[in-house]
Amino acid sequence: MNKSLLVAMLALPLAVSSAYAQDSFTIPAVKVSGFGTGALTMTNTDDAEFGRANQPRGVKKDPRTGVDSNLGLQADMTINSWLSLTGQGLVRKDAEDDFGAEATLAFAKAKVNDELSIRVGRMGVPVFMISEYRNVGYANNFVRPPQEMYSQVPYNNIDGIDAVWQHAFGATNVTGQIAVGRSKASLAGNLEAEMKSLVVLNLVAEYGPFTARLGRAQGKMTITGATSLDGLLGSLRTAGAGYRMPALIQLANDLVADSKKASFTSAGLGMDWNNIIGQAEYAKRKADNYVNDTTSWYVMGGYRIGKFLPYYSHAKLSVDSVVANTVPGACPAGYPAACTPTLRALSAGVASLRNSGTGQGEQSTDSVGLRWDFSSSVDLKVQIDRVTPKNGKGLFVNVNPGFNHAVTVGTVAVDFVF
Amino acid sequence: MKKMMIAAVAALVLSAPAFADVVVVVNAANSEAVSKDQIVNVFLGKSTALTPIDQADGSAIRGEFYKKVADKDAAQAKALWSKLVFTGKATPPKEVSSSADVKKAIAANPKAIGYIEKSAVDATVKVVLTP
Repeated sequence: MNKSLLVAMLALPLAVSSAYAQDSFTIPAVKVSGFGTGALTMTNTDDAEFGRANQPRGVKKDPRTGVDSNLGLQADMTINSWLSLTGQGLVRKDAEDDFGAEATLAFAKAKVNDELSIRVGRMGVPVFMISEYRNVGYANNFVRPPQEMYSQVPYNNIDGIDAVWQHAFGATNVTGQIAVGRSKASLAGNLEAEMKSLVVLNLVAEYGPFTARLGRAQGKMTITGATSLDGLLGSLRTAGAGYRMPALIQLANDLVADSKKASFTSAGLGMDWNNIIGQAEYAKRKADNYVNDTTSWYVMGGYRIGKFLPYYSHAKLSVDSVVANTVPGACPAGYPAACTPTLRALSAGVASLRNSGTGQGEQSTDSVGLRWDFSSSVDLKVQIDRVTPKNGKGLFVNVNPGFNHAVTVGTVAVDFVF
Repeated sequence: MKKMMIAAVAALVLSAPAFADVVVVVNAANSEAVSKDQIVNVFLGKSTALTPIDQADGSAIRGEFYKKVADKDAAQAKALWSKLVFTGKATPPKEVSSSADVKKAIAANPKAIGYIEKSAVDATVKVVLTP
């Protein structure tokens, strides 16, 4: 993981380090490392497309590489004993149906002492147990993080400042991390999501082979560019004003994602004990807008036999509550004839929000897979998922009308690091 | 593919450990005691109290060190490190190609820690663990 490939440097968004190099006599050593996954994914249906969270297109019966393949390059430069710079770029399919590059990390890290470091810039947002390395296939046992949970927060990075504190209490290692800043994400369908005043707390305790984690993130969520949602909200307001129904205007105000409070609270457990592997997470999402309040969880277990690791996982996403649909079923006597049909259309529109958009919808998945560490720094994985959507399309995209059945997904992936 | 499978299965069966004796060493001037937990934490990126020096990727002594001290095989240690590296939380240990180079690196840095063959121990280093 320490090949100095200056050529690869050029591909990285490291303006800050090249600026440094120009006015410096000795250029500090740059360590270039990378990770990637080459994968083929297919399903047993042409009725719906299966993709990772926030991919606008997925796979059907024809195998495609786009769902699970990616490539990341990272450059680390140690300036002196306490200061270092890190930049990372990731190429994958996210938000749009082409492989695109994004700057996933770009920060300066100052080591205050042996236990505390401060980072400024763009860091991974630690909302999940594996959120910061979820794209590094080699660092994970499964082919992809359980989508039921990892679809629930679309933000990958935080722009701001964080502090990481590590301390050993006897044999227990505790890591505390607090990050403050803002986060932006492009969502499938040309939407933009933004979290301002974002505060993320991440606590991890490790005792030998056991890991426990607690996390909490909250901020003010704004979503723009949702034309169908904006149309619905406009219609609610127009109808509310025209028919003198203030409840409709109130409903529009409750649904709009305009600097509304949102939070994500999660707990996780991990284990790698005597060849027994376990990982589980549980999370609650809450949002004061049309975005569903949800519960998501998964459990994964595996048993390592030499270089082989067979595993099983079960994941579930369910909706706890949505904004109450207060559109009246009919208009009082004496209202224009168009009133009741208008209300019915609005009511149907509000009801559909529960299952539309990125990370909305309910489903569960059972997965079995095998990881084989067949060579140094390279593994091969085979995974079969049985995805069962509930009340609609679940997390599938581009579905045929009426689609609501379980789908089998098969994936072969090779992960590597260098 | 089939050949690789057979090779892998054979490797599993035949990987009877042929261990040379590995010892963990620090700078001769370092008078502090170092526990096994501390060594594991330093080499797995959970502590920066000491500066770890690794031997070459794929070398027998590196495999033996991680197996005996951290109870991880080389691939597991690499997977753990890839979690830390690609989140920008830690940089992996400096790698040198021989026990002699480990001793040089340790002599140059009072906070360095490394592992070498027992037969390579001399006055420039102090043994803190014989796993």
